[in-house]
Amino acid sequence: MESNVKLSRRNLLRSATVAGGILPLMGCERVISTFTREMGQTIPETVSVADGAEIDQVFHLLARAGYGPWPGDLCRVRSMGAENWMEEQFHPETIDDTLCDLRARRFETLHHEPGTCYEYKKPVLREEIARHTLLRAVYSKRQLFEVMVGFWTDHLNINIEKGDCIYLKPSDDRLVIRANALGKFRNLIRASATSPAMLVYLDGKENKKSGPDDVPNENYARELLELHTLGVHGGYTQKDVYETARCLTGWRLRTGWRKGTVYFDASLHDDGEKEILGQRIPAGGGQQDLDRVIDIVCSHPATARHISTKLIRRLVADDAPVSLVDRVAAVFSESDGDIKSLVRNILTSEEFKESRGAKIKRPFRFIVSSMRATGTDTHAHSPLIEYLARMGQGLFQHPTPDGYPDEPDSWMGTLLWRWNFAFALASNQVPSAEVSIEQLAKAIDKGRRGGTPAKLLPHFIGRAGSKRELDALEKYLAGRELHSNDGRVELIGLILASPAFQRY
Amino acid sequence: MSRSSRRGFLRNLFLASEQKMPDAGAKTLVCVFLRGGADMLNLVVPYGDDQYYSLRPSLSIPRPNGDDQSQDAAIRLDEFYAFHPKLRPLLPIYREGRLGIVQAVGSDNPTGSHFEAQDQMEHGEAYGRTIGGGWLGRYLRTRAGKNMTPLSGVAIGPTIPESLRSAPSASAIDSLEDVQIKTPSGDPRAVSLALSAMYGAEAGVLGQPGRATLELLNRVESLRGRAYIPESGADYPAGSFGAGLREIARLVKACVGLEVACIDLGGWDTHFFQGTTDGLQAGVIDELARGLSAFDTDLARHRDDVITIVITEFGRRIYENASLGTDHGRAFAFLAMGGRVKGGRVTGVWPGLEEEDSPGPGGLKVMFDYRSVLSEVLSASGCRNISQVFPGFKPQPIGLV
Repeated sequence: MESNVKLSRRNLLRSATVAGGILPLMGCERVISTFTREMGQTIPETVSVADGAEIDQVFHLLARAGYGPWPGDLCRVRSMGAENWMEEQFHPETIDDTLCDLRARRFETLHHEPGTCYEYKKPVLREEIARHTLLRAVYSKRQLFEVMVGFWTDHLNINIEKGDCIYLKPSDDRLVIRANALGKFRNLIRASATSPAMLVYLDGKENKKSGPDDVPNENYARELLELHTLGVHGGYTQKDVYETARCLTGWRLRTGWRKGTVYFDASLHDDGEKEILGQRIPAGGGQQDLDRVIDIVCSHPATARHISTKLIRRLVADDAPVSLVDRVAAVFSESDGDIKSLVRNILTSEEFKESRGAKIKRPFRFIVSSMRATGTDTHAHSPLIEYLARMGQGLFQHPTPDGYPDEPDSWMGTLLWRWNFAFALASNQVPSAEVSIEQLAKAIDKGRRGGTPAKLLPHFIGRAGSKRELDALEKYLAGRELHSNDGRVELIGLILASPAFQRY
Repeated sequence: MSRSSRRGFLRNLFLASEQKMPDAGAKTLVCVFLRGGADMLNLVVPYGDDQYYSLRPSLSIPRPNGDDQSQDAAIRLDEFYAFHPKLRPLLPIYREGRLGIVQAVGSDNPTGSHFEAQDQMEHGEAYGRTIGGGWLGRYLRTRAGKNMTPLSGVAIGPTIPESLRSAPSASAIDSLEDVQIKTPSGDPRAVSLALSAMYGAEAGVLGQPGRATLELLNRVESLRGRAYIPESGADYPAGSFGAGLREIARLVKACVGLEVACIDLGGWDTHFFQGTTDGLQAGVIDELARGLSAFDTDLARHRDDVITIVITEFGRRIYENASLGTDHGRAFAFLAMGGRVKGGRVTGVWPGLEEEDSPGPGGLKVMFDYRSVLSEVLSASGCRNISQVFPGFKPQPIGLV
């Protein structure tokens, strides 16, 4: 294994040189597709499946701590051990992600400093951040990291259609969300508090005191307490919201030179004494007031409980088990909000093991897990992104600061578009997404052609099909040529459209 | 399964059993957007104001001559206003009181940019104050119960318009042909049966919506199976606008839970050779009038359940320009059609033809913020949370519906 990695790295470098040379001739994306396939981002010759009566525990882990297994992952993680895989995931910087980078790193709007994106047109910005997010989720080997990026993106939601957010979200994605996704909760909130995108989205930049009669703009302060930290029942009062807003006055965005960058204007700051959640903040704190606020709200016991509950809801079950919330909230307080410790405690809990198949995929997860399960080759062009909008989860499009909901009810009106996506993907009708059903079926069926429902279904759902599921699929196949490509393609489409694949 | 997740499971089961098919009596709001900034002054002609004729020596519509059938003169509505002759198909609807007009509606957008003004209006915002999402999207969100289906919000065309952004569920379709399972073999029936067998057996949160979606497909399938024949001899004009309205009428009658439908009609950006009773603009007016008239006829049995509004991003200048056209202006006449509309009259004070001197392009003075008009339309559609659709906005009563 070790020598393979070295060899492939050397190959990688050599091939990259070659690839660079022929790039202008072939078109960048085709080169990347060919190259990543050669380097192993493909369907292995044989793919083992889990076909017990219950969902396999390793499959379950890959489905929750990631976006579901890529063909071959199940076998790989079993042989390295689930604990080792998990530890590796907690240190994403140690996981080589070159192949994903090749697809996802080339969107230049994602790498700029805040403000530089004003040079780009909105459609370019909208498309690049969406493609980047989708490609990372599908191809990154740092799956847990991407799942956490998705979680914090909802938690600290920013709608890029509001104001100038579209110009500022790309750097928020990198410097707030990705920089802290598995770090300390306090650092994440501190970074978000002065993120240009957040200052626009929740009007923080308008929050100022320029005269004795000025009242603060409470928008951000309220959401900081209600959504980002303590939670709506976290025990704060309207006075706390007001006082928090006073502390946060004076943070501004430049409009001319260095447009979109943040500065603190002491002359617009309310420098009087404040009191938040029973703690006194003396007068004259200036911009230090912000850090005091962040310290107070992040170390509050209600925050430990609120964040733990939300994480458990995302990773375990919509109805977060109270026993687990108690334990994880304690870990939050002991570890000073160390996100890795929280997630580790959740993923190794009995409650997690018992929650197999209890959650319903949201559209983004449905699309990403479909593409991973089928080993899709995609560069995520806009038709693919449009499917998400049709299913109601346009990326960075949620209007209100609470982020896209976790509850399944919100997503049940657009099943038809899931089904159509399933058939379109399986039959290569999604522009810029290529699958090889034949190759996949062959790999699952140990080199034999075909692949019956009983053989294929477990690959997608991590357990044997129930009699009812298999009956439905067999009945569909009756009178149809299984070995014909249409029959097989529709069978995979049906599996992706089935209720079992909507669960995870 | 842990105790708590079992509780969740039971709760979901309970919720699922409460879910119903879309309410067959639901109200439908149809939004016709005239893209390009329509010169409504030549649709609802202020013939009683002499200045109109002096400012538009080549582009005015001649005064009514007492002959309702005339092709060369405006058709009298009252002492002051008259229809463009190509609006004749709407005359009976107006006279029967189902077509209402509000004069001098507009937004505070000073840019004169189509893109900016359309965006602002579709987002339902005041200038420079973004809320997030579109006004129809937010409206549907206030309605978001368990009855949302892919057909709750429908846009005719290839993309979902800005106004439907952030809707819980919306579809862009050209026709009902889109509402089907597209399978590689082209035999959706076998696939539907298999999905039916799988979703039919589902007790959890997926079961009911899965079955509802299949039911929806069945309904649409049975509609698609036979050719759609508009009722009462309704005759839709050729072209995508007529075809789109026809699909909307079909959806309304199919009781698939359609709450909002959006359709565009372009061709209104008449900077050059606008024409008068004939010519470029007369062509699109004809398409608009014949389309709306056919829609009204076709939906004769559903008039109380459907409101159709006609809106544009801005009106045009009062003066004609040197290339026999009109440039971007401000206010415009807003149209609403339906059984619940207090029609047969032009509401609102005529602001006169002195151009507005506020920032931005000149044109007819805005007397009503467009959101006031939309608020009334929304309340007629059963919206109880208008403040969530237009947060921070206080609508001015108009009396249109």
